[in-house]
Amino acid sequence: MNIDRKKIISAMSRIEVQGNEDGLIPGFNVFVNMMPASFWNSFAERLTRRVPADMLEAAEYLLVNAAHECGYHTGYGIITSNEWKAVVEPQVKQVPEDILHGAFAVFTAWGWAKSEIVELVPGKRMVVRAYDYYEADGVEYGVSTKKTAYMIRGVAAAFMDIAYGGAYDATGKTGLRTFKCEQTKGIECGDEYGEFVVTKA
Amino acid sequence: MTQYRKTELALNKVFDAKVSRQRIDNTTVVLHCHHYATLYTQLAMDCSMLDAKALLSECAEDAWEGFLSRYYTNNGIATLADRIAIGEQAFAAAGLGKMRVTCAGAYSGEVTLDHSHVDEGWIRKWGKSEQPVNLIGAGFIAGLFDALFGKPARSFTAIETQSIVSGAPCSRFSVVAR
Repeated sequence: MNIDRKKIISAMSRIEVQGNEDGLIPGFNVFVNMMPASFWNSFAERLTRRVPADMLEAAEYLLVNAAHECGYHTGYGIITSNEWKAVVEPQVKQVPEDILHGAFAVFTAWGWAKSEIVELVPGKRMVVRAYDYYEADGVEYGVSTKKTAYMIRGVAAAFMDIAYGGAYDATGKTGLRTFKCEQTKGIECGDEYGEFVVTKA
Repeated sequence: MTQYRKTELALNKVFDAKVSRQRIDNTTVVLHCHHYATLYTQLAMDCSMLDAKALLSECAEDAWEGFLSRYYTNNGIATLADRIAIGEQAFAAAGLGKMRVTCAGAYSGEVTLDHSHVDEGWIRKWGKSEQPVNLIGAGFIAGLFDALFGKPARSFTAIETQSIVSGAPCSRFSVVAR
């Protein structure tokens, strides 16, 4: 790995997203929004705690899928942005592996999860650890029996799609969902860190 | 007509490197995109067994009522006009669109969106929709009215009566005290 995570996190965490006169934030190939994390957490938690047991898997799939599509399109927007070209691209020597490591540094800088790749088998498998993430904030006491990092699951799979799923497809018809992600550990469940295993779909 | 100096929203955004969180005034905030917002909305619309449409709006109401109430308290924003100005700017700062509160009282109000993140994101992703989709915006507006009048969440409901996503030039919301 040729990526200097500290340097990327320091630079990318200071980037300010600027809204335009229409109150919209066009950037990275998408419209960006900036909401309190509690909004996303509360909907995911209240939804998954209320659905009947036989519907839980479907509800969780849809929450993960939202992040999967977000991660695919926004992720591609990030790695083709001027900010990426200025900060990360000069460090990229090995494609696409260094891009993946750089993407998780940006993922950390923007407050999604303090995360890094701990294992990468090119084109086949990736293991990510997240040492802190906002999706665990819903549990303030004790431990949950349910893993709640739907967003990280979706985005981790999306980053592998971008790296190994073929050319980016803005329609999402090809390239998207060539990988899937399972959360195997969670801070919200009492583990020291969240762990996410991405494999071919 | 009474003149007032429009209060400017001042957001102190900081990165807490220890835990990797972006925070504004001690509230953890996170950047996402229109794909995420519209897919959450679609999920809420499809999950009719739980009235997840109301749930999504309530989650937005809770988040923004809390944020705006704290902002008003911490910054001494007391007049209704200034509170509305801050609310409109917060909506834009969140990238949710261009909002104008055209009428506000303890029992009702009217709000216009000249631009809407959810509507315009929806159109970009899927095209127009005959039914309103801005559940997140409705929740923000309800939360704003709660905060404007110092009332708890669920004191107001915002009903979308006209929608950009359906082809209208702007979205309109009617706000009613519960």
